[in-house]
Amino acid sequence: MPSYKLYYFNGRGLGEVSRLIFTVAGEQFEDIRYEREHWPEHKAEMPLGQMPVLEVDGVKLPQSAAIARFLAKRFNLAGKDDLEQAQVDAVVDTMYDLLKAFLPVFREQDEAKKEQMTKKFFGDDLPKHLQNLETLAKLYGKGGPFFVGNHLTWADLFFHPFLETLLGVNEKVLDNNPWLKQNRAEVEKNPKIAEYLKNRPKTEF
Amino acid sequence: MATYKLYYFNGRGRGEAARLVFAAAGQKYEDIRFEGEQWPSHKSEMPLGQLPVLEFNGVKLPQSISIARFLAKQFNLAGKDNFEQAQVDAVVDTIVDLVNKFIAVRFEKDEAKKQELGKTFFAEEAPKQLKNLETLAKLYGKSGPFFVGNQLTWADLLFYDVGESLLGVEANALDNFTFLKQNRAEVAKLPKIAEYLKNRPATPF
Repeated sequence: MPSYKLYYFNGRGLGEVSRLIFTVAGEQFEDIRYEREHWPEHKAEMPLGQMPVLEVDGVKLPQSAAIARFLAKRFNLAGKDDLEQAQVDAVVDTMYDLLKAFLPVFREQDEAKKEQMTKKFFGDDLPKHLQNLETLAKLYGKGGPFFVGNHLTWADLFFHPFLETLLGVNEKVLDNNPWLKQNRAEVEKNPKIAEYLKNRPKTEF
Repeated sequence: MATYKLYYFNGRGRGEAARLVFAAAGQKYEDIRFEGEQWPSHKSEMPLGQLPVLEFNGVKLPQSISIARFLAKQFNLAGKDNFEQAQVDAVVDTIVDLVNKFIAVRFEKDEAKKQELGKTFFAEEAPKQLKNLETLAKLYGKSGPFFVGNQLTWADLLFYDVGESLLGVEANALDNFTFLKQNRAEVAKLPKIAEYLKNRPATPF
């Protein structure tokens, strides 16, 4: 039986999708969380000096999406064939596009600049990307509540924690996207996820 | 028989990785190239109003990296098992991190600022990511000239293309990276790739 260790900060961020995949699959893993002040001591242990990192039977794998895709494929949460997996990948890529638009806003220290960037993000980038996600769901979702193939995949599991963060900044972000709201509700209905969400540590991000 | 159509602009950009995968596989496909002025009339035909798009047996798939990964899997250029595929994905993600920083420089409208950003990029960010790529190759390459598993994968093809763009701006960009230089040379030597490179249209990007 393979041994899995997931190294990340003590937060959801780019590590949470993998934790959710392990949870849905009912698979054991060592959930290693470094507080920010301890991270410098461990940075050199990671291939690219970054996290998350997955260690599988002693071999380290960086890059959040590569990790999540690997685990999803292992545990049948990646899509049922190559084309479905590609559709899931395209949905996830679109979510990462949104994330890349969000991160500079989130990190901006200058108050005035941040306010301007926030306005642009919530007024422009966000609606555009959410619309794109709904378009792909309509194309690939086979009429179901999940992004691809009418079953749960890691695309749904990536979306859930990401939107949790955005909703924390602005609780109205999904008000114009009922399908996306419903998608998150469906993920929360999964019994293993429901249990996990009830018990997971409350963290800043 | 599977049919493949690739829609992109008439240039390398984000479409060339897919073209290189087709070339390495010796696979026929319809290589549809829109000139700038034609694109607006086709934009609404694409799921996210963006290119590239792959049409596989009539189903449209956006997102350049997802497209390239799907094609690589179709033609056994993705890695020999799940874990190798994950290693390839991690290398690709790192190349994409590099590309995204590079694009930010290239798209800067202010000439003076662009020069400044370019200097910083090639002095700091590029070497950092290039070193990361060599680190991963050392970890996963089994001592061969390719990034993963001592065989050609789409990671090598993507890097070949990205390297071309970097060298086009800064001819010395790879001077301190012997493995990466050699990796590109090995890719260019492959008969199907050599043939493709000889015959492909010369384009401004």
